[in-house]
Amino acid sequence: MSFTGDEYSKRTLDFVQRLQGLTDYEQICALIMKELDWFGFSCVTSFSIPGPGCHLKDSIWLNNRPAEYVERYEEKNYVIHDPVVKELRRTMTPYSWGDVRERRDLKKSERTIIDEGREFGAHDGFIIPIVSLSGSMALFSPCGRDPDLSPRARAALEIIGIYSHHALTRALIRRQREEVVHTPLTPREREIMQWVAVGKTDEEIADILSISTTTVTSHVENAKQKLDAFRRTYAVVQAIRLGEISL
Amino acid sequence: MVIVLSGSERRKHRHQFEQLFRLRYRVFVKQRGWSLPVVNDCEIDQYDDDDAFYFLDLDDDETIQGTVRMTPTVKSSLLADYFPHLVENGQSPRSSRIYEATRYIVLPSQKSREALRRAKGRLLSALLEWCLDKRLSHLQTVIDAGTLSSFVEITPQTMPLGLSHPYGGGRGTPGGGDCMAFRWPISLQVLGDIRTYAGTGGPTSALGEFARPDLGPPPGVLLH
Repeated sequence: MSFTGDEYSKRTLDFVQRLQGLTDYEQICALIMKELDWFGFSCVTSFSIPGPGCHLKDSIWLNNRPAEYVERYEEKNYVIHDPVVKELRRTMTPYSWGDVRERRDLKKSERTIIDEGREFGAHDGFIIPIVSLSGSMALFSPCGRDPDLSPRARAALEIIGIYSHHALTRALIRRQREEVVHTPLTPREREIMQWVAVGKTDEEIADILSISTTTVTSHVENAKQKLDAFRRTYAVVQAIRLGEISL
Repeated sequence: MVIVLSGSERRKHRHQFEQLFRLRYRVFVKQRGWSLPVVNDCEIDQYDDDDAFYFLDLDDDETIQGTVRMTPTVKSSLLADYFPHLVENGQSPRSSRIYEATRYIVLPSQKSREALRRAKGRLLSALLEWCLDKRLSHLQTVIDAGTLSSFVEITPQTMPLGLSHPYGGGRGTPGGGDCMAFRWPISLQVLGDIRTYAGTGGPTSALGEFARPDLGPPPGVLLH
């Protein structure tokens, strides 16, 4: 016996499947925003709680709350006083801003922090805490004017938040890695890698370009180093992937 | 070292099974407060039969530091029998090519994040290799919704079968919580993800027997 779900589960399972097919950071962000929009969320902040000596701005994976709001939030060090963040000491189960208001009497200063969200149209939000295997904690936190926070929506959002967080961090880490590793090829190295890509040996390339085989080999070796490749075949794959050559 | 025992060998490996059932009692009944059948401080249920397989990660003293039970879903499936509502994608929870993982425990004798990660990696890669060997299409499991992230972090191939639902009184009730089901496709990609997870990280991580990134011949999983 099996059940077919409602719109919440259909959408969520479909979202996870689509997300699995994406590696590009911008496409991942677009898919996440489109999904959150269906639930009535207009903004999201996805970040890891900064460790000692680290800045919040370096651990934000996705954010489209208005810049001035985020700046003030950081300037006033709200992250320490925000009752919505403080709630994390009490629970790791996802909760809404409204839940925090209901659970305890907030100080005026605490209420102010939540209320300032209204400036950009966020009257309520949902917090999904995510503990990584290394022990650091992240939050996926969408908000909006009147978002759907029904029990089914919450169950869906928990899954959406977890998959989004991991997809975003994977994409950003991959991008960072590529940026660090890749030094551009010189025009000559590019030309030679283009010949390598069509299967020419160093001797053949030397012949075509009327230069010595030693020179060709040294260009190929340099290119391999820049492309972080141990073999020619992988160097070709990397060169194509990074847009240095085309087929 | 990870060994795999068949449920049909319960008499032959009496001591190991007794240690296993006692550990399960301690973890699931005493600590998590699940309401499960118990005999003489041993937790044994109807799925502990000849068709079940048991993965045991043993340390040098033969103490179990990790375990999981695999059952053929055609016959023995907690998901099909007790939690069919967790499957919301219209698929059947039973298939001859799908096994179900239950009674998952990782409890390394050394208490550090690093030891936990290595132990998890050992158990899960042994599990995946065994599934590959059996030519399964998927493994499925029911988890506490709060642990989903740790599986997604290991592999993005983790595919939920539906949203979470409360069990045993829901979150906040002792022995209760929210549970959900997911499947892992049985593929070299997932095995690679597990090995990457097990083999990367802090400087203390020596490449263990399951952590080789080259996906070479399967390491020493002992099939009994």
